Amino acid sequence: MMKFFELTALVSLGLLLLKIAVVIGAVMLHVAYATYFERKVIGHMQVRLGPMNVGFHGLLQPIADFVKLFFKEDIIPEQSDKPVFFIAPVIAVFATMSSVAVIPFYEGFRISNINIGLLFILAMSSLGSYGIIMAGWASNSKYSFLGGLRSSAQVVSYEIALGLSLVGVMMLSGSLNLTDIVKAQERYPFGMFLLPQFLGCFVFLISAVAETNRSPFDLPEAESELVAGYFVEYSGMRFGLFFVAEYLGMIIMACLGTICFLGGWNGPFPIPYLPFGWFVIKIYIIVFVYYWIRATLPRYRYDHLMGLGWKVLIPLALLNIVITGIFKVLA
Amino acid sequence: MKIRQIVKTVFMTEIVKGMALTLKSMFSHAVTRQYPKEPRPAMPGFRGLHALTRNPQTGEARCVGCGLCAAICPSQCIHIYTTDSPDHTKVVERYEIEVLRCIYCAFCVEACPYSAVVLTEHYEYSAYNKKDLYMTKDRLLSNYDKYMGWEKDQEYFKKFWHPLTADFGTPENQAVFKRRKEGR
Repeated sequence: MMKFFELTALVSLGLLLLKIAVVIGAVMLHVAYATYFERKVIGHMQVRLGPMNVGFHGLLQPIADFVKLFFKEDIIPEQSDKPVFFIAPVIAVFATMSSVAVIPFYEGFRISNINIGLLFILAMSSLGSYGIIMAGWASNSKYSFLGGLRSSAQVVSYEIALGLSLVGVMMLSGSLNLTDIVKAQERYPFGMFLLPQFLGCFVFLISAVAETNRSPFDLPEAESELVAGYFVEYSGMRFGLFFVAEYLGMIIMACLGTICFLGGWNGPFPIPYLPFGWFVIKIYIIVFVYYWIRATLPRYRYDHLMGLGWKVLIPLALLNIVITGIFKVLA
Repeated sequence: MKIRQIVKTVFMTEIVKGMALTLKSMFSHAVTRQYPKEPRPAMPGFRGLHALTRNPQTGEARCVGCGLCAAICPSQCIHIYTTDSPDHTKVVERYEIEVLRCIYCAFCVEACPYSAVVLTEHYEYSAYNKKDLYMTKDRLLSNYDKYMGWEKDQEYFKKFWHPLTADFGTPENQAVFKRRKEGR
């Protein structure tokens, strides 16, 4: 009897590990090719070609970049705070990567089904900024220190807007479980919260860009003023980890937007053999909008950034909560 | 006016316009030239790698070793060494150009009375050491054979080099002594 239980436990553990491996593999592949498509899309928007030489139309470029980063010399500043310096990129990556665990890719497929999935992702995305602050502090360089400070201020202010924009979704669906949120959207037009929550969606998309430190809110890494911001002193694979964390964060935010506002894996018609088809397509659309914004808009000034966050997005999100509450009471 | 301003701010018309522009340019044709695969032909008169031209009759260098090119060269990268031959004609023993120091002003081409030193259209001549870019007389002559040739030489001679000696001939209608004209 004991033997049987042990066997089933072992099998379920093995299945879980396989699931994790598949999900992490797929997500990391997406991260690698997100860099490629970013370069391609922005290149074409600037009437250039982007990477063309490694493989057909530069398709192997991310692999070449990875190999290059992996074998590059790892330079550690002498005056840096070594333990913090070493652990900062790891925190940045693992905080974002653990968010993948709660994302439902399609009906019944996710690594863990926890009831506070939404809160978990928000918590993890704010933990990720610890990596950035620690990197900025430990590098012992004024550029990275300024980058880290800016990042902490930015993440703190935009996290509020991000959280508040999702409150409307929580009110409509009555749950923090991501699967339940997707299922709650089936009653609404197009199977999405996009129309009833258009204000929330607007605030979410903008604060998601700011939360992942991307252009036009990329003040923590502002190339023209801070060289590269918080990771100036990092090189080789440690720099690569920050890079991975940034793109992973972008994909996580796209997943969150898809789940909360675009109806997750539900689409107008089911795609045969690809239950996650619509989910992936919606993520690609959001990520494309990220690139598109980056190719179009210049960087915000620091006080404008804070003004937008505190004076525009947070009141809008609060207004959205009030409107949603009124509709919820009336309906 | 005020309401218009508010509508503009709320719907972010300017940002939307910018986004439309970038989306439109995404589908336009890229202007990139993929250089090593699509080499760009040099324009006529391009000032590229140096060469010493050959006299079409003898096949020897046109250079007489007057040293005008070396005198005018602003970066002083031309070195000429001449000797006396047994029949007391001037022989250009060595004619050398330090390509790495050259600024491609083509003053040497302008100064040369025989258009002996010229710049060709060839521009892809990077090398891994300085020695490969130190042009001796033989190498300059072979540059001429490779990148200039007789036909291009004639064209360039008329259009770009036009040395002083090109006008030295006697025009047909010029008045001369009778005995001389008859060739006695």
